[in-house]
Amino acid sequence: MELIDRYLQAVKFWLPRQQKEDIIAELSADIYAQIDERETVLSRKLNDAEVEELLKQRGHPLLVANRFLPQESLIGPVLFPIYRFVLKIFVYGYLLPSVLVWMGLMIFSSSYRLEQTNPSWFTAFSSLFNYLWFTTFLAAGTITLAFAVLERTQARIHIFDRWNPRKLPPVRNPYLIPRSTSLFELAVSLIFFVWFAVYLHSPVVPIGLKVTIFLNPQWLWFFWGYLLLALVNASLAGLNLLYPSWTARRATLRLLSDSAGAALFCWLMKANLLAGITGANLPVQQAIAIAQAVNDWMSRLFPAAIVVGLVIVATDVYRIVRMKSAGRTTP
Amino acid sequence: MQRMVQTMNQEPFENLRLELRRGCLVLAVLAALRREQYGYTLRKTLVEHGLEIDEGTLYPLLRRLESQGLLASEWREEDKRKKRFYLLSSSGAQVLDLLLAEWLSIDSSIHAISKEHNHGTD
Repeated sequence: MELIDRYLQAVKFWLPRQQKEDIIAELSADIYAQIDERETVLSRKLNDAEVEELLKQRGHPLLVANRFLPQESLIGPVLFPIYRFVLKIFVYGYLLPSVLVWMGLMIFSSSYRLEQTNPSWFTAFSSLFNYLWFTTFLAAGTITLAFAVLERTQARIHIFDRWNPRKLPPVRNPYLIPRSTSLFELAVSLIFFVWFAVYLHSPVVPIGLKVTIFLNPQWLWFFWGYLLLALVNASLAGLNLLYPSWTARRATLRLLSDSAGAALFCWLMKANLLAGITGANLPVQQAIAIAQAVNDWMSRLFPAAIVVGLVIVATDVYRIVRMKSAGRTTP
Repeated sequence: MQRMVQTMNQEPFENLRLELRRGCLVLAVLAALRREQYGYTLRKTLVEHGLEIDEGTLYPLLRRLESQGLLASEWREEDKRKKRFYLLSSSGAQVLDLLLAEWLSIDSSIHAISKEHNHGTD
């Protein structure tokens, strides 16, 4: 019965060394007992096809051997949810933003695009892929290794025995606005409003007695825009301070004001606002170079401004979604 | 409609049934091995009594119970073939008695709870 020997050999390969012979002897006895019984019923020898069918019914050798192996896992069911959570933080907190920043730079920064796509777009994508692959491999490998070590030590160090219900985080209320946050926002908005109105109301901004900054006439758009937004934010913060609970209307107003602020900030970065600088001891050529450099740097920071803006807007949208879902689940 | 509900419930039912049977199989194996048997005949005994068990489940279970000292085994030749015969050990017999008492207690609890529930919904 060559088929049976081959089957037993395949099972034997996966079995623990000390028990190999014993398990195989018993498995072999069981298979032959089944064949003997079938042959007695049929009053003839089983053919190869019938033996093949009988072995198939018993299952793949690896699965059969697996039943005799101790149940082992690199990361057990207790730690696995935490492991998955840490991996998610890595993906959403680092990997995804990295890709977004790269896309932002490729779309909006011509110098970066030129540098990356030299000599071809294939080079740009392969360098991104190499970076992501290496980072993911390193981070996921390190996290997995750390959790595998923790899995083996957690039973000994009893990490889940030392806990106190009083140290658990307070119940999250998606509607609650901490008064300290509102107070801080109110103070910042008012200081910003006053400072902006006093010092930046004109495109000519004197800094001390010796230096003057000249802004493009476009500046007035930004001035009035930011002034209005500071007023809206101060009013909203004041309202939140009095009534510290989000409503759909206030959350939407915050989303609109933050979206407008983010859009204005992105535009500011690209607007080449600095027309010139004059200073008592500042040579003209140097002043032009400084103005040019400031405009260039602001322009380079444009993709970063987009990412920051998107994060702010996403946070506001998430607040609304969370409120809606809490409204649905609250009895 | 009823058929659709039956099909939808088939998978959870099957999983729960397997879960429920897993513990019962230990009890059945211990009880069946009050009389000495080898693996193949033990499986047939269980099947004859309505407890389907495949060899991939039975043999690892027998090994586990033997390693816990609840079963004793020896290799012997029968019908010109070497076979491993299992028999309930003395500590296995004690554990079986305790498990049977536990089983009866669970059975009466389940009966009482389901009876109470039936009365409640009537």
